[in-house]
Amino acid sequence: MSPVIEALELTRNFPSRSGWVGAKRDVWALRGINLSISRGETVGVVGESGCGKSTLGNILLGLDSPTGGGVRFEGKYLHDFKGAHRRQMRKRMQLVFQDPFGSLDPRRSVGAQIADGLRNHDVVPAAEIPAEVARLLTLVGLAPSVAPRRPSQFSGGQRQRIAIARALAPRPDFIVADEPVSALDVSIQAQIVNLLADLREELDLAMLFISHDLHVVRHLCTRVVVMYLGRIVEEGPAEQIFTAPRHPYTQALLAATPSLKRPAGETGKVLDGELPSPANPPSGCAFRTRCALATGDCASAVPPLETVGPERRTACFHADLTAGQGGLQ
Amino acid sequence: MLRYVALRVLIALVLVWLVSTLVFLVLHLVPGDPAELLLSAGNTAPDPEAVAQLRSQMGLDRPVLAQYAAYIADLTHLDFGVSLRDQNPIAPELALRLPRTLELILAAAVIASLIGVPLGTLAAMRDGGWSEKLVSLLASAALSTPVFVVGTTLVLVFAQWLGWISAGGYVPLAEDPLRHLSLLAMPAVTIALPLTAVMIRMTRASVLEVLEKDHVRTARAKGLARGPIIRRHVVRNALVPVITVLGLEMGTLIGGTVLVEYVFNWPGLSGYLVRAVEARDYPEVVGIVLVISFLFVLLNLLIDITYAVLDPRVKLAK
Amino acid sequence: MTRAQRSLYIWLGLAAVLIAFPLLAPVLPLQPTIGMDIPHRFAGPSAANWLGNDEYGRDVLSRIIWGARASLAVAFGSAFCAAVIGTILGLLGGYFRGITEVLAVRSTEIVICLPPLLLAMLVITILGAGVLTLTVALTILFVPNYTRVVYAATLQTGGLDFVKAQEAMGTHPLKILARTVLPNIVPPLLVQFSLTVASGILLESGLSFLGLGVVPPAPSWGLMIRAARAAMDQQPLLLLWPSLALAGTVLLLNVICDRLQDVLSPKTAARGGAAWLRRQIKRTPDAPAPEVPLLKIEDLSVGVALEQGSMGLTKGIAFEVKPGETMALVGESGSGKTLTGLAMTGLLPNALSVTGGHAWFRTEAGVVDLAALTEEEFGPLRGNDISMVFQDAAAALNPVHRIGDQLAEIIQCHRPMPKQQAEAEVVELLRKVGIPDPERRIRAYPFELSGGQRQRAMIAMAVANAPKLLIADEPTTALDPTIQAQILRLFAKLKEDNPGMGVIFVTHNLAVVKEIATHVSVMYAGQVVEQGTVEEVFADPRHPYTKALLASVPESDAERLESIPGTVPQPGAMPEGCRFAPRCGHAAAACAAPQPLLDTGEGRTTRCLRWADLWKDVA
Ligand SMILES: Nc1ncnc2c1ncn2[C@@H]1O[C@H](COP(=O)(O)OP(=O)(O)OP(=O)(O)O)[C@@H](O)[C@H]1O
Ligand code: SF4
Ligand code: SF4
Ligand SMILES: [Mg+2]
Repeated sequence: MSPVIEALELTRNFPSRSGWVGAKRDVWALRGINLSISRGETVGVVGESGCGKSTLGNILLGLDSPTGGGVRFEGKYLHDFKGAHRRQMRKRMQLVFQDPFGSLDPRRSVGAQIADGLRNHDVVPAAEIPAEVARLLTLVGLAPSVAPRRPSQFSGGQRQRIAIARALAPRPDFIVADEPVSALDVSIQAQIVNLLADLREELDLAMLFISHDLHVVRHLCTRVVVMYLGRIVEEGPAEQIFTAPRHPYTQALLAATPSLKRPAGETGKVLDGELPSPANPPSGCAFRTRCALATGDCASAVPPLETVGPERRTACFHADLTAGQGGLQ
Repeated sequence: MLRYVALRVLIALVLVWLVSTLVFLVLHLVPGDPAELLLSAGNTAPDPEAVAQLRSQMGLDRPVLAQYAAYIADLTHLDFGVSLRDQNPIAPELALRLPRTLELILAAAVIASLIGVPLGTLAAMRDGGWSEKLVSLLASAALSTPVFVVGTTLVLVFAQWLGWISAGGYVPLAEDPLRHLSLLAMPAVTIALPLTAVMIRMTRASVLEVLEKDHVRTARAKGLARGPIIRRHVVRNALVPVITVLGLEMGTLIGGTVLVEYVFNWPGLSGYLVRAVEARDYPEVVGIVLVISFLFVLLNLLIDITYAVLDPRVKLAK
Repeated sequence: MTRAQRSLYIWLGLAAVLIAFPLLAPVLPLQPTIGMDIPHRFAGPSAANWLGNDEYGRDVLSRIIWGARASLAVAFGSAFCAAVIGTILGLLGGYFRGITEVLAVRSTEIVICLPPLLLAMLVITILGAGVLTLTVALTILFVPNYTRVVYAATLQTGGLDFVKAQEAMGTHPLKILARTVLPNIVPPLLVQFSLTVASGILLESGLSFLGLGVVPPAPSWGLMIRAARAAMDQQPLLLLWPSLALAGTVLLLNVICDRLQDVLSPKTAARGGAAWLRRQIKRTPDAPAPEVPLLKIEDLSVGVALEQGSMGLTKGIAFEVKPGETMALVGESGSGKTLTGLAMTGLLPNALSVTGGHAWFRTEAGVVDLAALTEEEFGPLRGNDISMVFQDAAAALNPVHRIGDQLAEIIQCHRPMPKQQAEAEVVELLRKVGIPDPERRIRAYPFELSGGQRQRAMIAMAVANAPKLLIADEPTTALDPTIQAQILRLFAKLKEDNPGMGVIFVTHNLAVVKEIATHVSVMYAGQVVEQGTVEEVFADPRHPYTKALLASVPESDAERLESIPGTVPQPGAMPEGCRFAPRCGHAAAACAAPQPLLDTGEGRTTRCLRWADLWKDVA
């Protein structure tokens, strides 16, 4: 099956200066990212804050431009589209935000905000817009009668449903969900995760799901990429990543994740040290400052992302030593 | 820190240049010929010969770029040209008067800070109480009364009716320090009044905001007493935005000196400006406006530096 | 209509009435403003001339009303023109950034380098005095202010998610500006407008006072004051009227501006500022102190004082912490976990207070009721016997003081000692919590540390005086997973080092509870609903909420997650009976009555009446 969206050697650097005349430094948010997502697939992106997860999402949606590399949507490069054409493309790709309170305009009714997407792209004839808004609200489990209300009258979970309805309005093929459940309580989070899973089946969507909650990612995603300081360090089917991680960082991340299933008294292996600054990452393998397996080689070259099994890729020189360790129960 | 200061100085210099250019542009972009405009009184057309003479005296007959180059070159030598009224060079006059205006501004800023910060803090701590209401009311009243009204009233009450101080004038400090200070008092207080009001309001708002901050809760969680919390963790933090406002208010403050020097006959730059504008003495006006603007930039530079001393994040982050 | 709105409308009404006079001046039966009446020079107020006559014998009242027209025309005219120009520049600069930003915003900022009055005088020198010149000059002056305000507001709004959502939807940028951004910058714009009108009036009158504004004999307040000044020894009243008119108008505008701000951006902070600075009424203990090993909370309630009266936020919190135990408070957002922790240290936010119950705590001097202490009485306990770790360490540390000083402060506050000795102790503490290179780090400011290190410093502060009770409110929630694990390990280590210390650990993460705590209190809608040792509660939950919560954690292998239908009830709209009833699958008629905390044996409690019925089948 041909992928809906592909990232090809994406790099993004945010030049930053210390002051007006200070030394120029590049903050590399993304470096050489290759990724493709097909219909019906949900790719989870995990990693620590600042490792480039949201930047990747924004670039895939065309809301930000890469410094190098490109994004192909159904085989066509996004940067070939400009102005009105670019806006036309937007209807095929949508975004769900983390903060359910900031992502809706407090001054406009939720119905009007959902209808924007329908109007911008003439998805349905003008006369049918109210009916379509009602259908979308029902789809996300809300009563159609709530359309005239303002966002302030809804709870966090309900707002997140509205935001999802808004994203679905232009009938996209690809959705980026940037930490859509992080701001929600566990019991509400479960409602939204279920909703996303249902929609993926029903609408055959391609989805990029960004989250730092590994349990949610494991539950929802079909494939997972693990990022560290702007690079993908490991990629593979969700179940395999969680039960048999190969990259030392993935292993550490899983060990650091508290779990109800872990037998009492047994705490995970704790990774020492801090996340290096993305403005000044270590040479070679960026993880070497915290890696127990690091050797001299790791400092001199960047380990390439290599195939270590069916659909599994990992970027570590010593991946042969890591098999069979770590993993969540 | 040094780097930060160097950077600020650089920015200040660029601003000085930009302001000079702006003034030049204002003069040359206004529709019509400045010489003609300056000489025309009422509806009678000015004498063409006089216009031509003035044009050549002001250098207006040269190409604009050449004029600009000459203008900037003169400025770098601090040469402001000669007055149209009496042909005297302007620079010495400016040098004589600048310190007097500066003295007024500094005295006002000191008075305003010394009164405004404590009163503002008090108002915030007693928010909703009668003392806060009183202070806020006084501040609003002070803010709404124009300086020339305040100045004139002070003259009426203290000079005319009570006869405590003379209505205005100036005596150099070296000549008679006491008399100098007594003459300084009224104009300085007049300028300080609205500034004090601004400081009170700002300090109050800022202290109220800091009181809500988590780190104040931390200070209480440490078991500190009220005094140290207010001093070390509230007022200290609250000063940062107050200083910023002081910088923004500098413009109004300097504008205030124009009126106050006029009211009290204080022979500073600004009173000089009024007469220059009345006489439409273009080189004089430009000279004074430039010097005052430079002063303004300089004061803001000082404030930027104070800011960095108060808030460690500023100098290191930038 | 809120009180702030009512107040605003009253002031606006007053302003409208006052503005009506100058607007209607041509049709009002006013005396002429020009012309001389020498016999009546400097006449005092009379029936014909209410405010008297001026130096040419002209009627002062009619000159004041006519004079207002000049001031208002200049002020409103320039404020309006500047608002339009400034808004456009600010919007474009803030939204499109790049070169537009430089042209639209940075260029106007040069004008700000010229003090306002000076720029006006420069323009007047060239164009000559007069109303039109003044309006032009003030417009130029005010444009940068509007540009700045609108630019800042646009930048802020432009970064908001809902604007980004519009972009993602392919909406045309100009449409986004008009429909989404503009409405959100109206509040600061209105405030700026009232400010500039006031400042316009001041500038106009100032220039007229100098003789550089309105040209006589046209009336203007500034000119009237100028003339009165020359004659103030003859008729001081002439000075009074225009000054009053001028100051009154500006005051009115300033008040409107303040009210506008109150209405448009209502402050969350309650009126009255910090409650802890006010004198507090001491609550007399209504029960004798029982013997407690460390902490025993009985029936504790916290309420918020609203305009309509008090509203309960938490009700009947009860649990006990013994030395060496770690009690986890777990529950969803808003369930009252944080409030319970803050009530223990008397640090409740302003409008909130303990409304009932006790929190018995053992100190060296005997057992005290934490729920009844005043701010002064808390002083020696806080940071010494009881200390707190807050969630957001970046906000909880004072940004302008060095880490070392902030730590030394808490040590010296309870154990006076020389600075050097305190510093040595700080270095030792920082080393203990795992901050590398503590000798240098004590000189760092909080923003120079990473998130994890800041939380370590916060923890060091909390344990500096070896407290008996440590309250930690979500200390790891804001941290990355690997750093979170480090901090949890640090807590475990501290507990090992101080075996007698009791800990209350607030979290919403059940897996963290399992990792760190010995006991757990599950909270729902302001109440404790279940309690016991972590192992037992997790293995065999005896309240339907606990059970549902455990099932909704996405760790099961089930295809679909168990979700709890509905949402948590809001305070003020709590169900009469069991607060979980609207979402509970087992609710029965009896559940409509308030539920007490029932003892279920083995030191466990539950707030479910039906627990025995429901768990019989399981057992
Ligand atoms: N300053 C305040 N004024 C009014 N109500 C408040 C205030 N602070 C908290 N509340 C209310 O008290 C209740 C309990 O709040 P609390 O902060 O203790 O919850 P929490 O369990 O800590 O939640 P979270 O997980 O979000 O931190 C909530 O309904 C909250 O809205
Ligand atoms: S390449 Fe080296 S440093 Fe990087 S993860 Fe592998 S072993 Fe560790
Ligand atoms: S008391 Fe009734 S409604 Fe409440 S939890 Fe128990 S069964 Fe459910
Ligand atoms: Mg909380």
